[in-house]
Amino acid sequence: QNMYSGHCELQSFAPLTESSISQSTMASLSEEVLLVVKKVRQRKQDGTLYLMAERVAWGPEGKDRFTVSHLYADIRCQKISPDGKAKIQLQLVLHTGESTTFHFANESSALKDRDATKELLQQLLPKFKKKANKELEEKNRMLQEDPVLFQLYKDLVVSQVISAEEFWANRLGGINNTDPAVVNNKQEVGISGAFLADIRPQTDGCNGLRYNLTADIIESIFRTYPAVKQKYSENVPHNLTEKEFWTRFFQSHYFHRDRINTGTQDIFSECAKQDEKGLKSLVIQGVKNPLVDLLSLEDKTLDEGYGICTTLPSTSNANKTVKESSNSAIIKRFNHHSAMVLAAGSRKGVFTSLLTASSSETSSTDGNSRDSDFFQPPVKKVKLQEAIEYEDLQRENRPKTVALNLKKSDRYAHGPVPLQSQHYTTSQDIINSVNYIRHEMMNYKPNLTEVLSSTAASSAIAALSPGGVLMQAGAQQAINQMVPTEVQGELKHLYVAAGELLRHFWSCFPVNTPFLEEKVMKMKSNLERFQVTKLCPFQEKIQRQYLSTNLTGHLEEMLQTAYSKFHIWQTRRMMRKT
Amino acid sequence: MKLNIEGLLVYFPYDYIYPEQYSYMLELKRTLDAKGHGVLEMPSGTGKTISLLSLIVAYQRVSSAFPLDVTKLIYCSRTVPEIEKVVEELRKLMEFYAKETGERNNFLALALSSRKNLCIHPEVSSLRFGKEVDGKCHSLTASYIRAQRHVNPNQPVCRFYEEFDAVGRQVPLPAGIYNLDDLKDFGRRKGWCPYYLARYAILHANIVVYSYHYLLDPKIADLVSKELAKKSVVVFDEAHNIDNVCIDSMSVNITRRTLDRCQNNVDTLQNTIQKIKETDAAKLREEYRRLVEGLKEANVARETDIYLSNPVLPDEILKEAVPGTIRTAEHFVGFLRRFLEYLKSRLRVHHVVQESAPQFLKDIFDKVCIDRKPLRFCAERLQSLLRTLEIADIADFSAVTLISNFATLVSTYSQGFTIIIEPFEDRTPTIANPVLHFSCMDPSIAIKPVFQRFQSVIITSGTLSPLDIYPRILDFRPVTMASFTMTLNTFNVCLCLVALSSKFETREDFAVIRNYGNLLLEMSAVVPDGIVAFFTSYVYMENIVASWYEQGILENIQRNKLIFIETQDAAETSMALEKYQEACENGRGAILLSVARGKVSEGIDFVHHFGRAVIMFGVPYVYTQSRILKARLEYLRDQFQIRENDFLTFDAMRHAAQCVGRAIRGKTDYGLMIFADKRYARADKRGKLPRWIQEHINDGSLNLTVDETVQLSKHFLRQMAQPFRQEDQLGLSLLTLEQLESEEMLQKITQIAHQT
Repeated sequence: QNMYSGHCELQSFAPLTESSISQSTMASLSEEVLLVVKKVRQRKQDGTLYLMAERVAWGPEGKDRFTVSHLYADIRCQKISPDGKAKIQLQLVLHTGESTTFHFANESSALKDRDATKELLQQLLPKFKKKANKELEEKNRMLQEDPVLFQLYKDLVVSQVISAEEFWANRLGGINNTDPAVVNNKQEVGISGAFLADIRPQTDGCNGLRYNLTADIIESIFRTYPAVKQKYSENVPHNLTEKEFWTRFFQSHYFHRDRINTGTQDIFSECAKQDEKGLKSLVIQGVKNPLVDLLSLEDKTLDEGYGICTTLPSTSNANKTVKESSNSAIIKRFNHHSAMVLAAGSRKGVFTSLLTASSSETSSTDGNSRDSDFFQPPVKKVKLQEAIEYEDLQRENRPKTVALNLKKSDRYAHGPVPLQSQHYTTSQDIINSVNYIRHEMMNYKPNLTEVLSSTAASSAIAALSPGGVLMQAGAQQAINQMVPTEVQGELKHLYVAAGELLRHFWSCFPVNTPFLEEKVMKMKSNLERFQVTKLCPFQEKIQRQYLSTNLTGHLEEMLQTAYSKFHIWQTRRMMRKT
Repeated sequence: MKLNIEGLLVYFPYDYIYPEQYSYMLELKRTLDAKGHGVLEMPSGTGKTISLLSLIVAYQRVSSAFPLDVTKLIYCSRTVPEIEKVVEELRKLMEFYAKETGERNNFLALALSSRKNLCIHPEVSSLRFGKEVDGKCHSLTASYIRAQRHVNPNQPVCRFYEEFDAVGRQVPLPAGIYNLDDLKDFGRRKGWCPYYLARYAILHANIVVYSYHYLLDPKIADLVSKELAKKSVVVFDEAHNIDNVCIDSMSVNITRRTLDRCQNNVDTLQNTIQKIKETDAAKLREEYRRLVEGLKEANVARETDIYLSNPVLPDEILKEAVPGTIRTAEHFVGFLRRFLEYLKSRLRVHHVVQESAPQFLKDIFDKVCIDRKPLRFCAERLQSLLRTLEIADIADFSAVTLISNFATLVSTYSQGFTIIIEPFEDRTPTIANPVLHFSCMDPSIAIKPVFQRFQSVIITSGTLSPLDIYPRILDFRPVTMASFTMTLNTFNVCLCLVALSSKFETREDFAVIRNYGNLLLEMSAVVPDGIVAFFTSYVYMENIVASWYEQGILENIQRNKLIFIETQDAAETSMALEKYQEACENGRGAILLSVARGKVSEGIDFVHHFGRAVIMFGVPYVYTQSRILKARLEYLRDQFQIRENDFLTFDAMRHAAQCVGRAIRGKTDYGLMIFADKRYARADKRGKLPRWIQEHINDGSLNLTVDETVQLSKHFLRQMAQPFRQEDQLGLSLLTLEQLESEEMLQKITQIAHQT
């Protein structure tokens, strides 16, 4: 249940960021303005719409501040009024569910304005969308995986000691920087093999077909056919609108591969050629696994002309009927499509595995492996061994071992080499010292005159035993017995929270930028707020329960140290200013 | 473990043994004891190869005490990966020997393959096609090329061959197991040519592993295998297609393109002769002199000079001098011209002609006065001429070589061959594409010398049923014929016979195609990982794929799995195959649409998740309208009393069995086998399937609907997904030495072999 509430908070934290953008700061910072549209009404007020690098903003006419400002990352989607409606509108729906509607009111160019805005937004939104979603997901994941962090989040953010942004400020960055593997390890979602089948054309009643494209399908098409993506970025929106582009795509023989007739003016004919080329290069590269290489399967060097000719495959295209060649085009297309889908799903994986494979192979063949021939045997050997294996004929008792994978075998052979010459004890030294110790032991004679008397010895032992005089200091150990576990837990949370706040506080020193100055002030007030809202109630509570008050002594001490540091810094600053 | 097989100590490199392996070795030993031939069928994945090797190696070791019993094992397999697998299994066996006996045995075993797979010359080996590699190799190693180097040091030669020729023959190849890559490594280290090293080493090796052609094709066998010891055991593994290999190695096809290229060749020959006459007439005179003295003396050719040997079998080669009419170079070229013109005229036909070899000879004598005798010497004479003229790139002369080989074949054999001249292809009657087929109809011709020469020949495969047909078509008398089945604790095969029809007449029917599609679609939703579907022919598959595409069935299948399809281009298909495996590997799952009798169905295994289900759409009958096939059927009926239908069904069933057998490659493997055609349920079809398939056919799996098949499959797959445990198999399908030696088990084992 806790997890769930954490999730909810994260959802609600999005507007928090938004509201924290004070308009004054934004207006003062100069931003790149991508598009300005005048005569846009919002809430029946005339104004101007600005599309900037990271946000969309609207300000009423005659005023130089924005009353509406949305970061692209906060926008879930945009909607437009259907063609033919009197009012030409564009609506932005935020992740929070709120929406803002703009009415394009310029009589002469309203439609054009709207479309321009739409097109630009269409390009901008996906970029930010991914980032926002990813971040949100990442935060969510971190909270779910780390209960301590989750508690901290509850203590600090939910109780509004610090803002969510402050909380995440150096956490996310830290995670991203220190451990990229965690982030990158995410398995990429592949592409459905049937994504083209999902675009079911519907007849629109008047001799036309209607294809419904979603962003996912477009993404699938792009990922599977990079050539189409290239065409898209080349032509949209300069030469074609998006709609035109996709219309042509579905009309092209590229989409309907069984149509042989290639219109040369078709922009996709080049894609087809590119695909063909890609396919050919794949084919020429050949296969890595020799067991599936049909070309080298047969061990026969006879020329053509010998042997029973088994219905000679008509290789020349001349005597192929149109139907036959269209059939073989379909087959080619399916092979290509499946290969591309497969590649799109594992592009990254393939790449890295290729890298590791090649690196391990180079190391295994002593570096002199420029000859392509050398690369083959390892794969081949492994495959052959696999093929002749009869695991059930072998006794199973052998423990499964993991093969040692050495990237740099020389380092394994030599071990770490010291950078500076260090003094090592040689084996001779060790033998000598052992001999020396043995010698000492043999010659040891107890000096009985200087030994304690038996009474003194036993009293010393008693004093050092549990409950003895000298063991009194160990009473602190009993804190876990003296204090109820619930209070202990609370104390732990307090420590963690205080630690987090103090970390933020101390990280501001030395205070050498205005930003840090601001932050340190805020942190100081955060600490004070923490003391008032969290620590004091706790102290009162333990007092009420008649527990020893010095439980929080150390916490207070830490806070005091921070305060005094802050005071020193502040007085110094005042002095400098005056 | 160490086994006692009727008094023979056999080292078997595993801790356990399958009962059928023991039984197989038993039968094999009896065959070797009797010094006879055998036909043994055992399903793939039951360790056939290792059983064979274990027993024969044990036999050879004993033989070394009683000299000259079995000195050599010649192991023939069909594909390069198969050859390499055999050598690896042998290596395992030898390591076990070394471990158990503690002594290094002086066993030499090696694989031999074509130059393409063995060449280490940097330029030559980079060529893509075997033919090019052979030609280039010849142009660097032929004796006259090497002789020219003495005069002209800039003449390029192959340093690897030179090095081998200088020292390689004096020291025998050290004992050990040499796979193709090992030979190359050894060659690189020594700087010797691995190909010629291997060819030389097979003469004294204990075990030779190579492809069928080195023994069955007279053109190659004469060069490579001529001197192999008679006291050898020959094993043909994966021998279910051996009759086709035999026929292939004796048949020739001549198209108009061949004749055009041949014309060029003859012109080149003429010019070269002219040139040599002006510069070095003595050479031609010398050749003439040697030919007069008889071919024996003319045969001073070195191993590197001959590209293809005589196309006819050794006992048919005439041991006399070349007839005078073709003895001089110019006369011979003139003779070739006349022969060529005659062939051209024969190809200008408008209707199909079929005739026997004697008819053809009579016609050629009537029309252009060419006698039978010079024709018989044609191949030899051309070889001699090419050598005399010092032709460097012999691959260029493949067309004229083909024609002269044809001349020799047609004039040598009057029986068992037919000549068919077709003016056009059946499917495209408007396009003239005349072909002369000289086709061998009797597989026993090519394999006869093998049976005669070697003491034991073992024919073995996973699919040889019905066993008695092979001795009949190959014309030999085996001492043992046995079929072994796979013993299993649980059934790891689920066999479904789906009642769909695909008779030739109805198979283009819309409903049939849709039913097939639905079956595949349903299965794609149920079966994990890989599914392989086989069609009866390529054209049929193309049509079905097209109509599935139109009906949207393929799109729906794509929701479940990726689709890959075999094409007629081998490189493209290889890529599709690799992608298919990748898709199975990463969990996406894929379907491979393939063709029975195609390269995939013959050479690629779909182990474990690469093939959880195989669907055979229809019965893979051979294209029955082919005239060559008709002629062969007629011949079989007349000569061997095999009825046409019996042979056709046998042929279809062996290919169907091959296809579905691709998915089960071991006892730990499991898979569905679906025969999607109701004709399989008929007794005459069922009876011709191998025993290990027949066993799985029960009444519950006959005549199923698509829905029933899906239900059965679901149930089966769920059961099979449970872990496979060795303990469950022990004592039943997996035996320890103690279990094997118990009286009761030995009793049982004797029943495994199904004698015919």
